[in-house]
Amino acid sequence: MVRSSVDRQPWGAIVAFLLPAFVVYTALTAYPVLRTFWNSLHRVLPRSEDFVGLANYAALAQDELFWKAVRNTFVWAGVAPVAEVTIALLLALALYARVPGMRFFRIAWFTPVLMSYVVVGIIWVWIYNYDWGAANALLRALGLGRWAQAWIGDPQLALPSLIFVTTWMWTGFNMVVLLAALHSLPSEVIEAAELDNCGWGAKLVFVIIPLIKATILNLLVLSFIGKMKIFDLVWITTKGGPLWSTETVSTYLYKRAFEWTSFDLGYPSTIAAVWFVIVLGAVLVLTWLFRQRDRLEY
Amino acid sequence: MRLSGDALLRGLVLLVLALYTAFAAGPFLWVATMSVRTTTEISLDHYAWPEIWHWEKFPQAWFNSNYSVYFENSLLVVLAAVAILTVVGSMAAHCFARYRFRLNRLLYFVIFSAIIFPPQITIIALFQILVQYKLYNSLLGLTAVYVAVQLPLTVYILESFFARIPSDLFDAARMDGYPEWQIFWKVSLPIAAPAIATTVILNTILLWNEFLYAVVLITDEAKRTLPLGIQRFMGDQLEDVGMIATGLMIAIVPVVLIYAFFSEKLIQGMTAGAVK
Amino acid sequence: MATVALDGLSKRYPGAAQPAVDAVSLTIAHGEFFVLLGPSGCGKSTTLRMIAGLESISSGKLEIDGRRVNEVPAKDRDIAMVFQSYALYPHMTVFDNLAFGLRRRAVPRAEIDRRVGAVAETLGLAELLARKPHALSGGQRQRVALGRAIVRDPKVFLFDEPLSNLDAALRVGMRGELAKLHRRLEATMIYVTHDQVEAMTMGDRICIMNGGRVVQTGAPLEVYRAPADTFVAAFLGSPPTNLLPAQIAGSVLSLGEARVTLPRRAAAGEVVFGIRPEDIRLDGAAPHARAEVVAVEPLGAETILRLRLPGVATEVLVRAARTVPAKPGEQVPLAFDLEAAYLFEPASGRRLARDS
Repeated sequence: MVRSSVDRQPWGAIVAFLLPAFVVYTALTAYPVLRTFWNSLHRVLPRSEDFVGLANYAALAQDELFWKAVRNTFVWAGVAPVAEVTIALLLALALYARVPGMRFFRIAWFTPVLMSYVVVGIIWVWIYNYDWGAANALLRALGLGRWAQAWIGDPQLALPSLIFVTTWMWTGFNMVVLLAALHSLPSEVIEAAELDNCGWGAKLVFVIIPLIKATILNLLVLSFIGKMKIFDLVWITTKGGPLWSTETVSTYLYKRAFEWTSFDLGYPSTIAAVWFVIVLGAVLVLTWLFRQRDRLEY
Repeated sequence: MRLSGDALLRGLVLLVLALYTAFAAGPFLWVATMSVRTTTEISLDHYAWPEIWHWEKFPQAWFNSNYSVYFENSLLVVLAAVAILTVVGSMAAHCFARYRFRLNRLLYFVIFSAIIFPPQITIIALFQILVQYKLYNSLLGLTAVYVAVQLPLTVYILESFFARIPSDLFDAARMDGYPEWQIFWKVSLPIAAPAIATTVILNTILLWNEFLYAVVLITDEAKRTLPLGIQRFMGDQLEDVGMIATGLMIAIVPVVLIYAFFSEKLIQGMTAGAVK
Repeated sequence: MATVALDGLSKRYPGAAQPAVDAVSLTIAHGEFFVLLGPSGCGKSTTLRMIAGLESISSGKLEIDGRRVNEVPAKDRDIAMVFQSYALYPHMTVFDNLAFGLRRRAVPRAEIDRRVGAVAETLGLAELLARKPHALSGGQRQRVALGRAIVRDPKVFLFDEPLSNLDAALRVGMRGELAKLHRRLEATMIYVTHDQVEAMTMGDRICIMNGGRVVQTGAPLEVYRAPADTFVAAFLGSPPTNLLPAQIAGSVLSLGEARVTLPRRAAAGEVVFGIRPEDIRLDGAAPHARAEVVAVEPLGAETILRLRLPGVATEVLVRAARTVPAKPGEQVPLAFDLEAAYLFEPASGRRLARDS
């Protein structure tokens, strides 16, 4: 290959293009991450910082509330994605069969995704209201008044009730993505399956789902990550209660950092550091589990 | 008989779809109706259709409870952040996509991996940093944080799009003697306009609704963004369901407008990268 | 082995001004290799897909082996199709791709193994059985697509431009393979293509379609020698038939400034004079006209000359021998083989029958 002057990389331009992004990233993402780890080894008070070694970590290991929050968050991140993606897949398949009014349905189902968690939270607090909320009103209207509950007031039901809310929110999103994936399937392969004596069920099992497997797994991981981060919804509805049944790592951290009797930021930083490692670890495990062994070229 | 079995199945599917639509859109419809009824009317029957349409509640909510302030703050922060994000993000994305240099993939990975960082890992330190530099409780500080928060996703979406532009166009521009900056400005940006529009819409919606960073970094009433304002509103009004509903509607309206005009782009934007 | 009969088959898409397929009637015999030939958009693929059952039939009747199959679903018609893009299942191995249709029809395992093994052997796929489609070359994928159809042992084989995604050398090879296959299996095959070379070499009969309608059906050489209209004349043959505007008065054809005496009387008036490039000789002995050489295209085995006849706007193409002593700008004498020439009606393009 002939070396020409065009092969020299325009370093000046490259640096110029990347500099603003990396300045922002370093100052407001990379540095804070490092600072958080640094905090975790200290007692960080408004006017002083004392090195305490791994004392915070030791305390964390014993912290019942933290581990309860971790459990709650993992339950959320484990159950919600499965529910969201399964229901979304069924809905997408229903729309895929060219039901009339497809565009309308698609747009209507996507709306919950657009709303701020704050708005969604308030609405569902109302829906879950014991006296006049839509949930109980519906049950009573159907003659099932015995089943009316204090949905987010009951420690047993609060977490499932919130999981229901996020499912309500994100199923529409997953449905739209799956629909796009379904439409991108090569129609000739599906026709070949038709000629190979596949009815709707067989086409689904043997051809369609295997071909959209990558998207399904992707959505599961995305949903998992989202649930690990969840804060807004809990803060607006239950603030972690009742009795820490909906306490997530993010709400617990917020409370320790900004609403605790001591003003120590070191301990919450420890929570953040440990949680960071846990989340990254979980995502790595999931990605490894779900890795696509072959390229599906079509 | 084959024909009626088919029709029955179709009917069932349609029913399920209709029920789900009611499920998905119902709550909003409910809030919308409550937003034009007074709290007294609502407490009598929570689910009635409005008889008198109390449009005056909207100006009431707007002026009487600082709503205009919250709205303006959100507007400023979001517009500024999205603008900066678009410029900074597209520059970085263009660079990653079009130039080959040893550190390219490493640096891209560094930024891209931040997408999975839980906000907790940075929030405390950001609080400390903003306080230290006197940017706590300031819209400027919040804007800067928002840019950092959305940067990885923006770069990710734009990079894959920039990479798809055929390199022949760039070669042609180089042969025509265009300097690198002009190539970015005149070739990459115009062609990537759809993707950029997508990220603009996406970032706008995400930042408009953002709550966690705002609640940590802003406590001053005058600097509250809309989500904070609504939370405060709810705290203040607690029993005044009617007023809160009106407040919610005001918050929802801009998003609905964007959705009404750009639903295709919006859906595309928010689902970008999820389809494999 | 089966007969296929199309009777007035039409396909109308909602909102379209013209039907995509307009009252197509064809009868395909047992074991025939029948080619549907035409330019893009002529309706040949749509017709094939209606036979397959992948498109619904708007009107008309479709019969396979005398049985009406309009409403019969595709999987019950006992046909197999080779798609243009091969349509292999990307997530399955070659073996599974071949076996899938049989498994779905509850063929016993031993039988499946036997059939797949035999087909793989025939098509040279035996070593590739464990691979997935993405690890195969274009030619290999095409053979798997073919194998998938053969293994089903269907009544009718349908081919939708199967060779168009292959490079030229492969295409020539596969043409031969397909022809051999047809002879061996003695199966009814319906083949869609836009490539006239494939049609001419492989078809027992060809059917030329244009604008959703059948223009002409017949054995390749018949259609070649006796085209029904200017469209067929121009479509078959490379370089294409020369179609030159002319006038007839008595027995004399006026071609620009040239005067040609016809062997028979023909109706007077405007005509289109059609003559194939191989039916024009550069003959000094008794030329019909003299033309100026515009360009010489030596192809190695032969030479194509582009000529201009005085008074005729369209260039005339002539096939000449390997070495031709002619240069651009020179005048050469032309002699037309009038027995092989055609006369077409200018308005409709229909070929005028010869009066005796």
